[in-house]
Amino acid sequence: MESTTISDILLSLIALLIFPGGLFLLFVGLAYEWIDRKLLARMQNRVGPRWFQPWADIIKLLAKEEVVPDAVDARLFIGLPIIALAGVLTAAIYIPFPGLPPVGSFPGDLIVTIFLLSLLTICLGLAGANTLDRFSLMGATRALTQLFAYEAPFLLALLGPAFVAGSWEINEIIGYTDGHWLIITQPFGFIVAVIGLIGKLEIPPLDAPEAETEIVAGALTEYSGRGLALFRLGKGVALVLGLALIAAFYLGGVATPLLFLAKTLALLLVIVGIHALFTRLRIDQTVGLWWRYGTLLVLVQWLGIIIWQGVMI
Amino acid sequence: MSEVGKRESFTVPIGPQHPALKEPEHFLISVDGEIVTDATVRLGYAHRGIEKAVESRTWVQSLYMLERICGICSHIHAMAYCLGVEQLAGVEVPPRAQAIRVLVAELERIHSHLLWFGVAAHEAGFDTLFMYTWRDREKVMDLLEGFSGNRVNYSVNVLGGVKFDIDDTQEIAIREAISFLEERTHHYLDVVTQDAMFLQRTRGIGVMTRSQAEVLGTVGPTARASNVYREIRVEAPYAAYDKYPVKIILDSRGDLEARFVVRLTELFESYRVILEILETLPDGDLTTRIPRRIKAGETVSRVEAPRGELFYFIKSNGSDTPERIRARTPTICNMMSVVKLLVGHQLADVPMILAGVDPCFSCNDRMVVLNRGRKMEQLFTWEALRQYGIDYYQRHSA
Amino acid sequence: MKLGTMLGDIVLSLFSRPSTELYPFERSETPQRLRGLLIWHPEECIGCGLCAKDCPAGALDLIVLDKEAKKYQLRYNLDRCTFCAQCVYSCRQGCLEMSNEKWELAALDRSAFEIVFGHCLDNG
Repeated sequence: MESTTISDILLSLIALLIFPGGLFLLFVGLAYEWIDRKLLARMQNRVGPRWFQPWADIIKLLAKEEVVPDAVDARLFIGLPIIALAGVLTAAIYIPFPGLPPVGSFPGDLIVTIFLLSLLTICLGLAGANTLDRFSLMGATRALTQLFAYEAPFLLALLGPAFVAGSWEINEIIGYTDGHWLIITQPFGFIVAVIGLIGKLEIPPLDAPEAETEIVAGALTEYSGRGLALFRLGKGVALVLGLALIAAFYLGGVATPLLFLAKTLALLLVIVGIHALFTRLRIDQTVGLWWRYGTLLVLVQWLGIIIWQGVMI
Repeated sequence: MSEVGKRESFTVPIGPQHPALKEPEHFLISVDGEIVTDATVRLGYAHRGIEKAVESRTWVQSLYMLERICGICSHIHAMAYCLGVEQLAGVEVPPRAQAIRVLVAELERIHSHLLWFGVAAHEAGFDTLFMYTWRDREKVMDLLEGFSGNRVNYSVNVLGGVKFDIDDTQEIAIREAISFLEERTHHYLDVVTQDAMFLQRTRGIGVMTRSQAEVLGTVGPTARASNVYREIRVEAPYAAYDKYPVKIILDSRGDLEARFVVRLTELFESYRVILEILETLPDGDLTTRIPRRIKAGETVSRVEAPRGELFYFIKSNGSDTPERIRARTPTICNMMSVVKLLVGHQLADVPMILAGVDPCFSCNDRMVVLNRGRKMEQLFTWEALRQYGIDYYQRHSA
Repeated sequence: MKLGTMLGDIVLSLFSRPSTELYPFERSETPQRLRGLLIWHPEECIGCGLCAKDCPAGALDLIVLDKEAKKYQLRYNLDRCTFCAQCVYSCRQGCLEMSNEKWELAALDRSAFEIVFGHCLDNG
């Protein structure tokens, strides 16, 4: 093992905090949030926000007072948003963002990355359960229920490419998928992955955990100021990373930043289209639907892969 | 939390401030997990004392006060009042004025149903449909602004007739807007009856059988969606509805989808009536003289607001101010059906069922005096009410 | 049963202009009958005061300066006005009308809302 020098540590810190993770990732996350909102607005025949709107929102939230409600564990209340954001930012180390090879990798980092991405939802659920507010409690229950229903198919769908690439390390998987468009050979897996991403990020139509007209803001009802800003940043970052993973695995790899941009934006267009087209489903419908059809689709896909591998080899 | 021994359920307060409600009212929903076990409603947050205020205003001024009971059904309130007062005074309004009143009433019905449709879609989480229906509603608002000068609270009625007349530019604008809206309404009817995800939120939810609807006293499209034959324009035609009859739209399913379909189909009837009025508008004056002091007497006028039957009781004592005006609005009849229907559904269905009866909370807040055989009614004077408030907060402050 | 019935609308909207009016940079024409600010033409006024009597909001006050010479003043409280146009209808001489150009009436100061039309006390 070579000894780690000061420059190695410095480079790792820069990679984690400034580029390509950290600050750069936060900016890109907000940029994608703007594209999401603008596309949705244009689909609904309205104008939509100007380019600096998400930044203005975050700056305004950071400048406001954070109100800590009574009867809440104050350390958990303040700490959970920080843990959530830290989790998704750490996941960026292993994901090929933005079109460059991942900064760090080790065998099995696929599982670690998916866990870090779902840390956001778990923190959301805990944050909601922390307060005495009825709305937060119901939002937390729904968030955790949706987590169970959507994580397993999402993981299985991402394991499809891992299986054909023969490795559990993201770096090696994208070495295989670069040039191989797995969306053609594993279409069901792609569909499950996209819908799983929509469910994980609580984008309509699968946004029962934060249904505005039923439970105000779900688990985030009591949050204001800095806590809310950190959760929103975390969601933006999770969107970018989720899109990056699916584009890298299914859409033929993201070898250069330009390809990254093009493919993730195309995927974002599809997701925003689904957002605009459908109405929100009730929590029993989202879970009931996906627990059956999602798992079924991905198992069929796996069967196909195994049979194919068995026939070919 | 409920009593010891029962399964623990907690109460979710919907309102007075809640994104699901456009106006403040308080619904206390007890849930067990996601299923609603009990629901109570507490009204009165938008009470403004209008019925008391008109007792010290002249007949002419009261018209404008009553018009502002509600923003979306303002014209129909004013029309009910005018019809009642004209009946008391014994004047005959010229037919052109009655036809114009019906025209604006139907335009208002279109406006109200499109607004309701957008809001109900928003409650379901279907924001796209919300944006598109409200874009189309702008056409109707532009029409009404061109005709009367204001987008809401049109103030078209005066005692004895109407203030504004229809000329050629208005007619052309109305025809153009109606043909555009007719096409869009066909599309929306298609969406409501065919879109698979939207039907998952509306089909089979909030089912009210015909006997339930009759016992609970529902009116308007909510009742007609449960096959109850209740429509004032057909049963007791007023203004010019005897010359321009309307067909009643009934649906036998009684669920949320039926309520959507009934209201959208009523829009087609409104379009037809408006075009018919434009074809055969009678000539004549716009108003007739009505005295400033109305003869003593009592009268009742019933009209069909977009939400159901609107009932006005007007009593005069021969002077130039009303003695008592009582407005019984349709939402207060439909409110009990909401409370009854909510039990057994999921929490996510609560905003949908509430939106399904088309609640208009500003209309809603009237005062009811229950006199259960006690010797004295409990009425507060202004001074007593003020003192009560001061005492209450002094007792309950920390 | 169809899935995604609004697809046609969505795709059409992506390729057309949004229907939002970018007020205050774009202003559409106001309709001719718009009920904006009240304007009083004092030449025909006979001082009957029906406009002030009929106003539901109590926004008008007719002040008689000189009855024989027909000198009147009309005090108009803009912040009480509900723009119902009952005064326009009540006036049998046609002295009152509602402007269709002046409708942006917000101000930072209450004094802008009390408008006095008509003759002053000393000159004619």
